[in-house]
Amino acid sequence: MTRKDLLDIESLRREEIEHLLDQAAPFKELFTRSVKKVPALKGKSVLTLFYEPSTRTLSSFEVAAKRLSADVTTFDVPHSSVVKGESVRDTIATLQAMRTDYIIVRNQMAGIPLAIARATKASVINAGDGAHSHPTQALLDGFTFKEVFPEPAGKKLLIIGDILHSRVARSTSTLMRKLGVEVAWLGPGSLVPKHGPSEIKRFTNYDEAMKWSPDAVYLLRIQMERQSAPFFPSLREYTKLYGITQERFKRIADQGTYIMHPGPVNRGVELCDDVMQYQRCLIDQQVENGIATRMAVLYWLKPDTAGNESLTDEDTN
Amino acid sequence: MLSTLTEADISNGVKAIAEQIGQCNPDGKFVLVGVRSRGDEVAARILEQLSKIGIEVPMGILDISLYRDDLAHLNSNPKLQGSELPFPVDKAHIILVDDVLFTGRTVRAAIDAIMDYGRPAKIDLAVLIDRGHRELPFAPDYVGIHLETQRLDYVDVKLKGTDGVDFVEVTQNNKA
Amino acid sequence: MASLLIKKASIASEDNDDLLPADVLVENGLITKIGNDIEADSATRVIDGSGKILSPAMFDTHIHMREPGQEAKETIKSGTEAAINGGITGVVLMPNTSPAIDSAAMVRTIYDIAERDARIPVYTSGCITKGREGKELAGIDGMLQLGVKMLTDDGDAVPDMMLLKRAMEYASEFDCFFASHCEVLELSGPRALNEGKVSYKLGIQGTPACSEEICMDRDIRLAHATGARLHIQHVSSKIGMETIRWWKQMGAKVTAEVSPHHLLFNEEDIGNYDTHYKMNPPLRTAEDNAALLQGLKEGVFDIIATDHAPHTPFEKEQDFVSAPNGITGLETAVVSLFHHYINKGEFGWSLLVNRYSAQPRRMMGLDPVAIVEGGRADFILFDPKGETTFSPDFMCSKSENTPFLNKTLDGSIDLVVVGDDILLQR
Repeated sequence: MTRKDLLDIESLRREEIEHLLDQAAPFKELFTRSVKKVPALKGKSVLTLFYEPSTRTLSSFEVAAKRLSADVTTFDVPHSSVVKGESVRDTIATLQAMRTDYIIVRNQMAGIPLAIARATKASVINAGDGAHSHPTQALLDGFTFKEVFPEPAGKKLLIIGDILHSRVARSTSTLMRKLGVEVAWLGPGSLVPKHGPSEIKRFTNYDEAMKWSPDAVYLLRIQMERQSAPFFPSLREYTKLYGITQERFKRIADQGTYIMHPGPVNRGVELCDDVMQYQRCLIDQQVENGIATRMAVLYWLKPDTAGNESLTDEDTN
Repeated sequence: MLSTLTEADISNGVKAIAEQIGQCNPDGKFVLVGVRSRGDEVAARILEQLSKIGIEVPMGILDISLYRDDLAHLNSNPKLQGSELPFPVDKAHIILVDDVLFTGRTVRAAIDAIMDYGRPAKIDLAVLIDRGHRELPFAPDYVGIHLETQRLDYVDVKLKGTDGVDFVEVTQNNKA
Repeated sequence: MASLLIKKASIASEDNDDLLPADVLVENGLITKIGNDIEADSATRVIDGSGKILSPAMFDTHIHMREPGQEAKETIKSGTEAAINGGITGVVLMPNTSPAIDSAAMVRTIYDIAERDARIPVYTSGCITKGREGKELAGIDGMLQLGVKMLTDDGDAVPDMMLLKRAMEYASEFDCFFASHCEVLELSGPRALNEGKVSYKLGIQGTPACSEEICMDRDIRLAHATGARLHIQHVSSKIGMETIRWWKQMGAKVTAEVSPHHLLFNEEDIGNYDTHYKMNPPLRTAEDNAALLQGLKEGVFDIIATDHAPHTPFEKEQDFVSAPNGITGLETAVVSLFHHYINKGEFGWSLLVNRYSAQPRRMMGLDPVAIVEGGRADFILFDPKGETTFSPDFMCSKSENTPFLNKTLDGSIDLVVVGDDILLQR
């Protein structure tokens, strides 16, 4: 069974998550071929609707869609700081008329992908809405984690940074917990939400958090530009208290703890240069897995567009 | 129920294919590629028979789900199981193996899939059962069993590895 | 006009928990007789009230009617018709129109429009500050001369404490009171929803309850220090309510209102970004619902008011943060309170009459409209066995932004009478 849209991780059942993680592997295998394309989505149209600038996620989706032989179009929308609700509504009317098969949306306002999904027959993939959700990031994180830990239940993941504003932190926390991973948050008190699942341990001190012995740490990007109000005094202070400095990195390497990061990294802030050379740094794998995971998602979803008869999977030998 | 094939029938079919292949390719310079699902199990059995007559060849498995021509018409897409082709496809002589040859669409998909791995020198087709009613112009090179069926009949193939038993059953489609 | 006889109704009053079964005769706009088996002459209009409640009509002191400036959402005409539809025969408008009601001229404009378009009396509040900008005092004397009783910058709090204090000191000379929309802007964020479980889940910055509570405490202290009368609007939290209770015990001249939606709904109702549950102050928790209901019963809340806030469907259909705050309430208040509370025995008609008919009038310097011999006729007939479906066709408001849209609730308002006139009869 499948869905029309992928809007968040919360609403996915564990079996659906396991299925998607399982299906990313055959797509990853294709990357070793000289022809990396398959015709699965041939003739289908994929529209990218990115209100927030993003090269990494956007190009990851573009590559994924093109490797499935879909036709990819970028819908030109203003990238200004805040796009009011009215213009999204007008865009939805245009989208309905375009009869595209898949729409990939990124927006600063939480809930916009849902609004679009309700209004069109296309399959809508949420590529990040405000501080709410980033489901494909969570899936690729889960896939990467499972490559290292095939039995994830009982493993421990420590997420470090600005949890409050991070849709990645929310979605990845939810997904990992659905896989039975124990999740904890570390960050300044002003950036670790009080609300949210009580089962997630909250730390505000780095050493205390590391005593918890996480199997992997997940670093979030710290940006001063995101903050209009002071959540902590300075980047320097953040790094001193929570960054993976050289000294902290040595201890992490000794423990064999894995390091993950959704990218792009801020060298010298949340991590030092040494991390990027570390054997157990999974950042590059995450990027590669991003394409495979997004291919699995595009292959799994089914739009409501014409041509869907109620056939079961028949072998037409 | 219109007709059945027993474990013995199936075994004889596999042996017949292996013998034919051995006769036509005594130098053993070919590879087997089984088409999932069940085509891979048939290929493994042919491999075993070939081994008994002294021919050792590599074997691969092909998942053609991504190449099917009916994906747009399905409610949900088939689960992928992945392909494994542990040999270079360029210049290879590939014998595709499947359990049943029917319309020929699976063969078309398999050929397209293989072409995306490289440029083989030759592709042959070996099938355990040919049930007729081609919709695309493909002909098998090696056939284990010829089965007479109506277009709308169901041919249900069960193999030990996948289904626990070796049994083939042909039943009439009552919806017709 | 011919006289009117309501037969065999059960009369509700604020003084008595029990309903009084009787006939009521109205002549020349006054209730002349209450008794059993009153006889009518041939000219009298007779209405059968058996099985129905005859209650003093309601009075809502917190209404946004959007005229002038945003007439697409509501006008004084459509708003007063909606009021009648909901059993309300007197309204007090909020001054956050465009332009704002901050001068005698604007007050006169409102009265002129009401004179022309409204079948019920329309009162208006006036701004504390010019244009509600929070910088300079509005033309207070002029407005008060025209009968304005309530001064408020509703929609916003007054951020400048010195300005508010001066306003209160200045107005102490006059017969008026201040009404406070309480919120600390620095804590508000995008003013979308309560800071809590749901704001986390939906990924939107929430407004903590303390934002409202701090401002409430601040405004009451200022009023207490200056001797001004203060009314706290739309209270949404338990601690806010306890703050008011404490100050009342300390002798402060403070009154407070609660809205049906803060009693009935909480943040969980927002579900998947449903803007029908988005207002300011936001819906909080189930614990707050329970505490506010208790506060209503105990009289911490002197009045009920809806904060009727119409918006067009287009605006409400935006994403959650962009959609404007507020829901309508005039037509749904009485029925929803009956359905959820009176019909379930939480409280009786006497409480509703006191909090939604008598006290609001007293607060505005008007007499309550109790159903007594010699009293003015100003009442509704309510059928507890009836049903009301809030379809767009049923509603008179121009806007449909209510969580009760297309829902069916128990009870219906079958008759609204003011003076000699039957304003509504179903």
